[in-house]
Amino acid sequence: MDPSEVEFLAEKEIVKIIPNFSLDKIYLIGGDLGPFNPGLQVDVPVWLALNLKQRQKCRIVPPEWMDVDKLEEMRDLERREDAFTPVPSPYYMELTKLLLNYASDNIPKADEIRTLVKDIWDTRIAKLRLSADSFISQMEAHAKLDNLTLMEINTIRSFLLDSLNCMYKLRSNLQPGSSKGQLTDY
Amino acid sequence: MSDALSEDGSDINQDDSREEDVMTPVELIAKLEEAWLNEKFSPELLENKSEVVECVMEQLTHMEANLQRVKKGDAKASIHRMEIDRIRFVLSSYLRSRLQKIEKFFPHVLEKEKSRREGDTSLLSPEEFAFAKEYYTNTESYLKAVALKRMPPNLQTVDMLKAVPEPCLDSFVFLRVKERQENILVEPETDDQREYVVDLDEDSQHLMRYRTIAPFVSSGAVQLI
Repeated sequence: MDPSEVEFLAEKEIVKIIPNFSLDKIYLIGGDLGPFNPGLQVDVPVWLALNLKQRQKCRIVPPEWMDVDKLEEMRDLERREDAFTPVPSPYYMELTKLLLNYASDNIPKADEIRTLVKDIWDTRIAKLRLSADSFISQMEAHAKLDNLTLMEINTIRSFLLDSLNCMYKLRSNLQPGSSKGQLTDY
Repeated sequence: MSDALSEDGSDINQDDSREEDVMTPVELIAKLEEAWLNEKFSPELLENKSEVVECVMEQLTHMEANLQRVKKGDAKASIHRMEIDRIRFVLSSYLRSRLQKIEKFFPHVLEKEKSRREGDTSLLSPEEFAFAKEYYTNTESYLKAVALKRMPPNLQTVDMLKAVPEPCLDSFVFLRVKERQENILVEPETDDQREYVVDLDEDSQHLMRYRTIAPFVSSGAVQLI
């Protein structure tokens, strides 16, 4: 899956915005939005929030977890624990990137947040590589991946799955008489 | 004009509740996205969701027809257009990934279609079936024209079923559980390992072989991610 498609899914998440225009309720196929009143908070999907922001029609209210103290706590926890800790949003990385790229003036301490989220991401990806390594060396057939986000899975997807398939083919050819052993590539 | 749009919007909702009480447009879009991701990540071609596709198409044409009547530069209309574009993207990406799989596995897809019993639902939509058949004929006549007819007579046939690799159902997939499943048998990787069972809790995520969980993908109990 292309990272931009994961971002596409992240854009469905809901954020709060403060519009500076007024508009009646909108009846979208995917649900109703609004009504919009200047100065009043309203929930919209990220794709709309970014569009309105780019047209300077709203201020984006950063999600609650996008806060230096909370993220510092998360980063320390993530570094202490061996397992993956729960993330504040299934799309934390994509949302941080999108909101900081297009609405950094609405988010206090944007640079610190960027660094913190990157630290959390790096720690998690390092853990992911370690567990992928032990998954392969112990020749496991099942792994539980709670708390992993789609973007994280996506970064190792093609590499891990292709290697597993290759190893599976090589291994099943080593076991004579197994019907699974036929090479399927011609 | 904004009146026209909001009326039409509520019209859509009413239409739907009249035609089928089971699915609201919101659920419909969620269904489409589920089907999209499942199709993207499963190694084999899944059952076609032509019902969902048709309903989404209907919604889109309906909404587009409404937008035709709206004058340019309307704030609401541009938001509606953006939403339409997003839905259309998912829809075409879904259909495209199905076509790619048909091109990749066409003899096996057609074989499965042939052995399908009367009354079973087809894997392919009528359009996809026509595409698969045409692709088969074209590939065959291409191979004939370029190479086969210059071969000795005893080598002039090609068994497509053997020449095209089958989908590898033993590939690993990532999945999220939507309905709890108990006692899933995990086959061992090597001969000296034992097989064991796992329970799949709701909302948990796993990495395992597609073959083990294939039935749950089609029943909708798990979502590939």
